[in-house]
Amino acid sequence: MRLLDVVNLTVSFVQHEGVVQAVRGMTLHLDAGESLGIVGESGSGKSVTCMAALRLLREPPAKIAADRLDLGGVDVLAARGRDLAALRGRVAAMIFQDPMTAFDPSFTIGHQIVETIQAHRATAKAQARAEAEALLRRVEIKNAGGVLDAYPHQLSGGMLQRAMIAMALSCQPQVLFADEPTTALDVTIQAQILQLIKELQAEMGMGLIMVTHDLGVVAETVDRVLVMYGGRAMEQGPVQKIFDAPLHPYTQALLASIPGRVAGRQRLVEIAGASPNPANPPKGCPFHPRCAVAEARCGVEAPAFQTVTAGRDAACWRLQ
Amino acid sequence: MIVYILKRLASIALTFTVVSVIVFLMMHAVPGGPFDGNDMPVSDEVKAKLNASLGLDRPLYVQYFKYMWGVLHFDFGVPFQSPGETVLELLGRAWPPSLILGGAGVLIGAPLGILLGMAAALRRNTWVDYLASAFATLGLTIPVFVTSMLLILVFAVWLDWLPASGWGKPYSWVLPIVAYATIPLATYARYTRSAMLDVLNKPFVTVLRAKGLSERRIIFQHVLRNAALPMVTVFLPMFIGTATGSIFVEAMFRVPGLGAYFVSSINLRDYALEMALILMITMMFCVSYLISDILYALLNPRIRTGGRRG
Repeated sequence: MRLLDVVNLTVSFVQHEGVVQAVRGMTLHLDAGESLGIVGESGSGKSVTCMAALRLLREPPAKIAADRLDLGGVDVLAARGRDLAALRGRVAAMIFQDPMTAFDPSFTIGHQIVETIQAHRATAKAQARAEAEALLRRVEIKNAGGVLDAYPHQLSGGMLQRAMIAMALSCQPQVLFADEPTTALDVTIQAQILQLIKELQAEMGMGLIMVTHDLGVVAETVDRVLVMYGGRAMEQGPVQKIFDAPLHPYTQALLASIPGRVAGRQRLVEIAGASPNPANPPKGCPFHPRCAVAEARCGVEAPAFQTVTAGRDAACWRLQ
Repeated sequence: MIVYILKRLASIALTFTVVSVIVFLMMHAVPGGPFDGNDMPVSDEVKAKLNASLGLDRPLYVQYFKYMWGVLHFDFGVPFQSPGETVLELLGRAWPPSLILGGAGVLIGAPLGILLGMAAALRRNTWVDYLASAFATLGLTIPVFVTSMLLILVFAVWLDWLPASGWGKPYSWVLPIVAYATIPLATYARYTRSAMLDVLNKPFVTVLRAKGLSERRIIFQHVLRNAALPMVTVFLPMFIGTATGSIFVEAMFRVPGLGAYFVSSINLRDYALEMALILMITMMFCVSYLISDILYALLNPRIRTGGRRG
């Protein structure tokens, strides 16, 4: 079953200086129980894509359009207030980058989990509290009862991100969006949190969308990868195949820039040039100004994102 | 918490003492005395006698300790400009109109201002916001005596609905209260708007939306609660205006309140009344800030539970 089906999504922000195009024709899908990693540089539009899928961007200034934007079978673009609220947290939940600022500082962790449960299911407070405590124990918080009554400022970042995961899973969502869930955490905690997300995903049979700029995170947690650049999908396919044999020149350059893939001391490999300016993106393929194998037509017209081999898509003229 | 309050009370006592010394010295540093006026000239001999009878010929420190000793026993002396009564009797007579004027002004203006600020924040960058912000800015920049004159012109002179001045039957209170209410209304509208916007832009509000809470619950439970924190600190001190009254509003509407005495006690070198008024304001400031800080601590778990992370 298609949990998330996005076709030709565009997201732009209307600002005083002009229109910023954050996402320019994204197409992606997620099936039940599947895990997808969205990788890209800062500003490539990966977070915005997820926020748009839940309509969490403020509109205006954001402007969302798509040929199709279905979440759990519901047309998200047509949904209004109450329908959206019913979708969020229930069909799809989201965890965010910085757990330190993700909780309301004026209420206890317990209160915030309980209110999530009660927003979606008619549950007595005592029952919801018991569920919240069980969830906290499931995300490996030892002192679950104490954390329930703790305020956010009393907990560490790692603890808060665990509590955040517990809260996101409190209504058994079908999809979990994880927007760089480990970026703000200590390296030692990062692996634990990733492992936890992976376990819970398998246990609950959820779909998972892991947004990250860290290829290591992708390799460890997801089945399928989608590479974004300049607000567009560049390449999509099974994680092992993409790592072994990337099709798109951008993915090839990205993988080549990972330090330590080849033994020995050497100069760090970089991709020459800078990311495209979303207020004034280059014509044609967004990567062509930095692409080593660009041709004349790359700067004229953007290549379509289409199937190259079974289960693998890419947007590159050389692969058409 | 108890220790905190005791510490604060001690610092209030210190503030009170320092203010009293400074004000006393400044008051007497101003040249002239209560009997130097030109409208009723008295000979130097009479003046010396009068000063002696009031103890004004004694050294300043003696006068200071004598006055403060009285203050500790709730004896604020006798106002020179109205020797038939004590300072306390004068306050008892002139304070109620100021209290009603200022109290009603704040109680009406502050809630309206909060509502206006909320509307502006929730409809930011729409005509609601622009209108509310324009109104608040006007309320803060137009001097209150101009507002008063406009109100008198429209409602007393043109429409003839309400009296232009005086402080008799309650309907005569309406215009001065409305004129006074514009100040807390405008102040609160601006405070509320910025406090709400500040909270609305916090990442946790996005998380609350992502959890599927209704917009109403997000605003009324989470955003308001957090926006209330900075607002608590400005609410009580605003009530001090009720003690001082607005000198301008009282003058425009000829309200027999305290406002006029602030000016006259300085002009007439009415030392006893001047000291009493300033000590009273000092005390109200100290106490209202103390209560605000206690409320703030009670509302803010980061202070209530200590700042430990563990």
